[in-house]
Amino acid sequence: MQFKNIIICTSLMVALTQVSCKKFLDQQPKTALTQEQAFSKLDNIKPLISGLFTNWRNVRKDRGGFMFELGSDEAQQGAFQVLSDPDQAALDKYDGFMAPRNNALTGQWQSRWPIVVAAAQAVFALQSNHEDEATRTELLGEASFIRAGVNFELTQYWGKIPISDPARFDQLGTKRQPLDQVYAYIINDLETAVKYLPETQADKSHVTKYAALALLGKVYMSAPTEANVRSFQKAADTLNLVIQSGKYSLLTNYADLWDPAHANSSESIYEYQFNNTYPDNNQTQWQMGSRALANLPSIGANCYFGGYDLMVPTSYCYSDKSAGGLWETGDVRKQQSIRYDFTYQGITPTLSTGFGGDELDPHVKKYEDPRTDGTLSFWYSGKNIFYIRYADVLLMYAECLNELGKTNDAVALMNSTVRARAFGGTIPAGASWDPGMSQDSFRTNIMDERMRELCFEGWRRSDLIRTGNFVNLVKARNKWTMQSGTIQAFNQLYPIPLTETQQNPDIPATDQNPGY
Amino acid sequence: MTKYLFFLLLCACTGLVHAQDQTRGLTVKGTVREKSTGQPIPGVQVTLKSDPKNIVTANASGEFTITVPSPNAILIVHALGYSDIEVSAGKKTALTIDLETNAVSNLDEIVVVGAVIKRHDLTGSVATVDAKTIGMTPTSDIGTAIQGKVAGVYVTNSSQPGSASSIKVRGNNSLSYGTSPIFVVDGVIVGDNLNALNPDDIASMEVLKDASATALYGSRGANGVILVSTKKGRKNTGVVHYNNWLSASGYERKMKFMNAQQIYNLRADAYANEYIRQNPAADRQAYINGITSDTSTAVFAPYEQQTFRSGKSYDWLKPVSQNGMAQNHTLDFSGGSDKGTYYLSLNYTDQKGLIKGADYKRMGARINIDQNVKSWLKVGTYTTFTHSITDLADGSIFPTAVAANPLLPIDTAGLYTLKWGGIDNQDQYNPLRSLYIKNNQYLNRLLTSNYISVAPIKDLAIRTSFSADISNEQQYTYIPTTTGQDLRNSNHGNAIQYKLENYNLQWDNSATYTKRFGEHRFNFLVATSMQKNTSNYNSITAYGFPNDDFGYMYLGGVTSRDKTVLASDFVTKTLMSYLGRVDWGWKDKYFATATLRYDGSSNFGPNHKWGAFPSLAVAWDMSREDFMSKIDFISHWKWRVGYGVAGNQNIPNYATKSLYRPSYTNGSVTYVSDGRLGNPDLQWERQKQTNIGADIGLLHDRLNLTADYFTIKNDKLLIDRKLALTSGFYDEVANIGAMTNKGIEFTLDYAIVKQKDLQWNFRFMISRDRNRVTRLFGDAPIYSTGGFTGTQIQRTGNFFVGQPVNNIYALKFLKIAQVGDTAKLNPKMFSGHLVGAGDIVPLDKDGNGIVDDNDRYVVGKLDPDFYGGFGSDITYKGIGLTVFFNYSSGLKRISSLYEAGISSDGTTAASVDMLKRWTPTNTNTIIPRAIHNYSRYGPGDVDAYVQDASFLRLSVLSLSYTLPKSVRKNMFDNARIYVTGSNLWLITKDKGYDPETGDGFPNTKSVTVGLNLSL
Repeated sequence: MQFKNIIICTSLMVALTQVSCKKFLDQQPKTALTQEQAFSKLDNIKPLISGLFTNWRNVRKDRGGFMFELGSDEAQQGAFQVLSDPDQAALDKYDGFMAPRNNALTGQWQSRWPIVVAAAQAVFALQSNHEDEATRTELLGEASFIRAGVNFELTQYWGKIPISDPARFDQLGTKRQPLDQVYAYIINDLETAVKYLPETQADKSHVTKYAALALLGKVYMSAPTEANVRSFQKAADTLNLVIQSGKYSLLTNYADLWDPAHANSSESIYEYQFNNTYPDNNQTQWQMGSRALANLPSIGANCYFGGYDLMVPTSYCYSDKSAGGLWETGDVRKQQSIRYDFTYQGITPTLSTGFGGDELDPHVKKYEDPRTDGTLSFWYSGKNIFYIRYADVLLMYAECLNELGKTNDAVALMNSTVRARAFGGTIPAGASWDPGMSQDSFRTNIMDERMRELCFEGWRRSDLIRTGNFVNLVKARNKWTMQSGTIQAFNQLYPIPLTETQQNPDIPATDQNPGY
Repeated sequence: MTKYLFFLLLCACTGLVHAQDQTRGLTVKGTVREKSTGQPIPGVQVTLKSDPKNIVTANASGEFTITVPSPNAILIVHALGYSDIEVSAGKKTALTIDLETNAVSNLDEIVVVGAVIKRHDLTGSVATVDAKTIGMTPTSDIGTAIQGKVAGVYVTNSSQPGSASSIKVRGNNSLSYGTSPIFVVDGVIVGDNLNALNPDDIASMEVLKDASATALYGSRGANGVILVSTKKGRKNTGVVHYNNWLSASGYERKMKFMNAQQIYNLRADAYANEYIRQNPAADRQAYINGITSDTSTAVFAPYEQQTFRSGKSYDWLKPVSQNGMAQNHTLDFSGGSDKGTYYLSLNYTDQKGLIKGADYKRMGARINIDQNVKSWLKVGTYTTFTHSITDLADGSIFPTAVAANPLLPIDTAGLYTLKWGGIDNQDQYNPLRSLYIKNNQYLNRLLTSNYISVAPIKDLAIRTSFSADISNEQQYTYIPTTTGQDLRNSNHGNAIQYKLENYNLQWDNSATYTKRFGEHRFNFLVATSMQKNTSNYNSITAYGFPNDDFGYMYLGGVTSRDKTVLASDFVTKTLMSYLGRVDWGWKDKYFATATLRYDGSSNFGPNHKWGAFPSLAVAWDMSREDFMSKIDFISHWKWRVGYGVAGNQNIPNYATKSLYRPSYTNGSVTYVSDGRLGNPDLQWERQKQTNIGADIGLLHDRLNLTADYFTIKNDKLLIDRKLALTSGFYDEVANIGAMTNKGIEFTLDYAIVKQKDLQWNFRFMISRDRNRVTRLFGDAPIYSTGGFTGTQIQRTGNFFVGQPVNNIYALKFLKIAQVGDTAKLNPKMFSGHLVGAGDIVPLDKDGNGIVDDNDRYVVGKLDPDFYGGFGSDITYKGIGLTVFFNYSSGLKRISSLYEAGISSDGTTAASVDMLKRWTPTNTNTIIPRAIHNYSRYGPGDVDAYVQDASFLRLSVLSLSYTLPKSVRKNMFDNARIYVTGSNLWLITKDKGYDPETGDGFPNTKSVTVGLNLSL
C-alpha cells in the first residue's frame, strides 16, 4: 500500500510539473517595457519622446559633440589631440584616414540613427492612436521634429540616407534614397511639426512651433541643388514668421548668452538642456579647456577653464582683422567667445612639455562653466548648448534678403540688430556696413559675421558647404588641413561607415559616397 | 580512472600461471561482495601476494578463480573505492570476501541530475580528481587545487585573496557568452562560482568533458561540467579529523624598474634627444649640463635634483606592501551506523594579501547526512553555509605604486597625486592615501541539497530532491576626502552600497531501473528538473559626507543629494528539463549509453524555448577479447567513442525583446531604449562534439594512460551582433556565428616503484585545443573599439573568420629605424607619427604607402597551444616528497605595464630594459630610444613587445611525515605534518609581473606548514 501511495504521489508531482511548465518558462521583464508596450499608449509614448530629446541632446555631449566642428575654418584639434588618433586627426586633415573605416565618424553615425528610427516608430504609432487628440498631435509634432532635425544632420554630413518610415518599410527598406526624397521627407516632417507644435513649452527640453519654423528656414536655404528644394524665398517667408511672432529678441548684452543665469532667454529658440550633475552635464569644457590649466598642481582639476584641448579656434578665428583674421576693433563678441588670458588665481600657467605646445594659444570660451570653479571638476561643466538662437534667424534672414536682391534691407537689418549689439548697442560709424554694399560683398561679409556671432555653435560646416566655400576656406584657415594639403571637394560628404556597408545588405560597399 | 579499473581483465600472464599450476597448484574460487549490501562487486582485482604477476579479475558476478601455490598463500583483494584487504587462501576452495567501502572517498556513487548513478556509468570523457590530489595544494580555492592536474582543464589563477580562479574545459566554445564550465555540487547546479566551498570537504571531482558525458547537463554543458561530491561518513566508525595549515607569502617576483639615478639619466637623455631634434646644430652636452645643473628647474624639479644627488631611490611599492599570511582550520566529524552516515565539518580560513588592506576571511560549516528511515526509504541532506569577508585594496594602489617616481620622496602628508618633475600626474593617486579607501565585501551563502529516495520494488529507485543555492552579497566602498580620487572629482566623500540577493532553486525527480537479461545489463534513467533563478540588487552611490569617520555606514547626512545615484533590478530566469537515458553493457566488453535531453529555457522566445540534445557513446573493452589475452604487458585497454550535442543559453536577460527603461534626467522621466534590438528568434546555441578516447593500463595497471581526441563544431553561436545603425539599434543577440575547436588530451600515471615501504609515482598531463571562428555575419570581422577616443580598434576582443577567438591584432614590427633610414622613410606614411633614428617602424602590410588599421595582423593568441602539469611523489615509510609543476605554452599576453616601461622618457616609470635602449652607439636592439615630447609608434602599436606568456612553474614542493604508530601510540589514528612551498620557482620569458595572473595584482610565493590529525 505504502509503495502504491508513493508512486501515486510521485506521478502526481510529475504531472504537476507538466501542467505548470508552460507558464514556468514564461518570464517577462519586470523592470522594463517591451517595444510593444512602449509604443502602445500615449502615457508611454510621451516619456519615450522625452527620451529622444535626451538622446538628441546627448549627441552634442563630450568629445562626440564636436566632431563636425573640427575640420572647419573656425576650429581645429589641439596639437596633442591631432597626434593621438589618426582617425580623429583625419577630421582636420582630410587624409587617407578619412575613409569608411574611420571610427570617429562611425561613432557619429551610430549615435544618430537610433533616434531617427525610434522617432519614426513613434510617428507610426501615433498615426494609428485614438487616445486624446490634443496630446496625440502634439507628440506627433515633436516626433516629426526630432526625425527631421536628426535626418537633416545626417543628410548634410552623409548625403543620400535611408528614409526611416515603418509604414513604407517593405518598399524603402534601409536603402539610401535620392536627395530630393530625403529633403521632401524632412520638409514634410517639419510642416507637420509646425502644424502641431505649441508656440511655447514650459519644459524647455521640448521644441516649439518656432523652432520648427527656424529649422525649416535653414533647410530651405541649405538644401543642396540636387534636392530641388532650395528656395531663399521660402526660407525668407518661413524665417519671417519667426521674426514677426514677436516672441524672440536679442539679449542686450552678448556676454549674457554665455552666463548660465540667462539660460533659455528670449534669444533662445531651442537649446539643449544640461546642468552640472551627471548624466546631465556635458563635459564640454573637458574638451575645450587648456591642459596647461588642468595640470596645475592641486587647483588644476577644478579650474573652470582647464581641459584637454580637443577643439581650439583656428588662428583666423582668434586673430584680429589687422592680423589677417576675423575680429574688428571694438567687437565685444571676441572676448566672450575666445579665451586669450590664462592667468588663474594669480598663477600664470606654463606649458607642460609633451603636449604639442598650443595649450596656451587662444581657446574656446563659450562653454566655460564658472559654476564648477573650485568645487567641481570641469568634467561636470554643463551649460546649455544652443541649437538655434534668434541671432542666427536674423543672420539667415539677412542672407535670404541679399540672395533675393534686397541687399539694402539685409545691411540695414544687420546694422540694427546683430552688429549693433556686437559693438555694445550702438554701432560705431566705422563698423556700420555700407548700404551700398554689393550682393557679392555681402555674401563674403555675412560669412565672417556668422563666424563672429556663431563660432563653435555647430553650424559652420553647413554654412561653408551651402555657400560653396568649404574647400578653399578650410584649406586656407585650418592648420592641419593646410599641412596635409589633401582636402578635395568630395570631402564635403563623409564616407558611409564600414560597419554599415558590412552589416546592412541594403547599402553595399559599392554604394559609397564618391571619392572614398 | 575508477571506471576502467572496474573493467580490468585477466592479465596475459595468468595464462602462463595456469599452465604451470595445472600440475602443481591449488585452484581457489571466490566471490567478492559489498559488505553492507551483500551485492557482488564486479571487476575486483585479486593478486597473489608472493607473486604480484599473478593477477585475476572478478567477473560481473564478483566471482574469480585463482591458482595459488599453497593454502598459506595470501591474496590481496583490491577494488577502487574499497579498502584493500588481504586474505589467506586457506584450504577452502570457495572463499567469500566482503569488502568495505573506502573511508575517505566514497567513490562509487555520485549524484547527477537528481539521480544516484554509478561512477562507471559515466561514459565518455571523464576525469576524476580525488581528495588526495586536491589536498596536495594548501589553498582555499578549488581552481588552484586542481590546476594542471586534469587534462583538458585550463585554470588561470587569480592572485587577489578571495577571488576565484577562472576555469575553462576544452578551451573556448562560445564567442560572447560564457566560457566557464558549470559546477554541480552534490547535484545542485551552482553556476560558475565555487567560492563558498571548502576544498577540505571535497571527496572527489569529476570533470565531464565530452558531449556524451555532459549530455546529462545538455542544456548547460557546452563549456564542460565539473561534478563536485563532498565527503560522507563511513558506516560503523567514528572519526575526528583536524586539518590545519599556516602559510607566509611574499612577492613571487618583481618587475625590474629603473632606480632614481637611472631614471634621472634617462630623462636627461630623452630631453637632450628632443632638443637636438629641434636644434640639430646645438651642443648636446652643454644642454645636458644645463638641465642637470643644481639650479635648473627646466627638466628636473628641486626635489628630484636633491634625490639624485643624495644617491637615494624611493620604492613606493614597499610602504604599501606587507607580508602575506594565511591560516586554515578544518575540523570534521564523521561516522555512521547501518542506518546511516553523517559528516560534519567546520572551517575557518584567513588570508592577508601582499598589498596592505587586502584580506579574506571565510567561516563555513557543512553537514552531510544519509539515513535509511525504512528499508525502502532513504533521506539525506548535503548542506553548507558560508560567511566570507573580502577586503579589497583599491585597484589603483598596486599599479600606481609600481609606476611611481623613484626620485619622489615617499610622502603621505602633502601629496594627493604623484609627481614627475614639477607636474602632478592627475591619474596617479598617491597610493599611500589610496590605502584609506575601504572596500569590503560580505558574502553569505547557503548551499543545500535534500533528497528523499524510495525503492518500491527491487532494482527501481525513485528519488526527488530539493536544492537551493541562496546567496546574499554586500559590497561597501568608501573613498574618503583624504584621497587624491576625492580631490580630483570634488566628491567630498563618496560611498557605494551594493546588495545582491540570489535564489537558485532546483527540484529534480528521477527514476532509475537496473535490469539484467542474461549477459546484457541495462540501466534506465528518466528524470525531470526544474530550476528557478531569481536575483535582485540595489545600489546607492552617495556623495558629500560631513566627515570621514563613519565611512560608508551612514548615508543619512550626505549633502550632495543631486549627485546621488540609485539603482536596482529584479530578474527571474527558469529552466526545465526532461531526460531519458539507457546504459547497456554486454559481457562487460561492449558498452553503450544513449541520452536524450529536452530542455526549455525562459531566455528564449515562445517558439524557440525548447531544444533537444541527444548523445550516444559506445565503448569497447578490447582487452577482454581473446586475442588480447596473450599480450602480457597490457592489463586493460578500452576504447571510447562518443558523439553528442550540448547547448548554451547563457545570454543577457530578456534578449528576445527590445527594452525601454525609465530614466530620470533634467527633472523629468524619459523612456530610453538600451540600444539592443530584441530578437524573438533566439534559440539554443548548439555544440556538436565528437570524442575518441582510450583508457589503457599497462604493467599490471602500474602504468595508466588516458588519451582523448575531440572535435567540436559550435553552431548557431550566440553572439552580440553589432547592427547596421540604420536599423535604429546598436546590437542584438543572434545565433549567427560558428566555430570549431579541436584538441587532444593525454594523461599518464606511472607507479615507478610500488613496494610496501617505498612508493614512487609519476604523472604527466598535457592538453591542446585549437579554436577557429568559421563564420560570422557576412563573414565581416567584429571589432572591439575603445581607447582614447572610444572608437579605436583594440588589440584584443576582435573576431575574424579563420582566426582564434582570443587573438591579438596589431601592426607588425619591422625594425628600429637607424640613422641611415630616416631620409628614406616617407613621413606621410605614418599618419602623424614621427619616425626618427631609434624609433619603431611598423610594417606596411598592404604596401600602399600608409600604415593604418589595414596593416594589422593577427599576431598571436591569448590561449596556449598546450598546457598541463606533471609531478612526482615519493613515499618512503612515513616520509613523503611531492613536486608538481604547471606549464602553459604558446600563449601571448599584453603587458601594458612593460610596454609603458620601455617607452618612458624619464617622466614615467621605466623598465630596466631601457638601459639597453637604442642610441647611436647601441643600434642592435629592439628597445626604442628615449625621447621626450614626441609622437611616435609606441611598443603597444606593434607585435614585438607582446609577451610570450609561456611558463613552467613549480607550483608545489612538499615534504610530509606521517607519524608511525610507535610514536602516535593510540592517541591518533593518523598524524601527518607537512611543509609545502607554493610557486617557488618560475621560468618564463614574460617581462611583466606574472605570465598567468598578469600585472594587476602581484602573484605570491608561499611556504605553508600543515598538520593533519585523525582520532
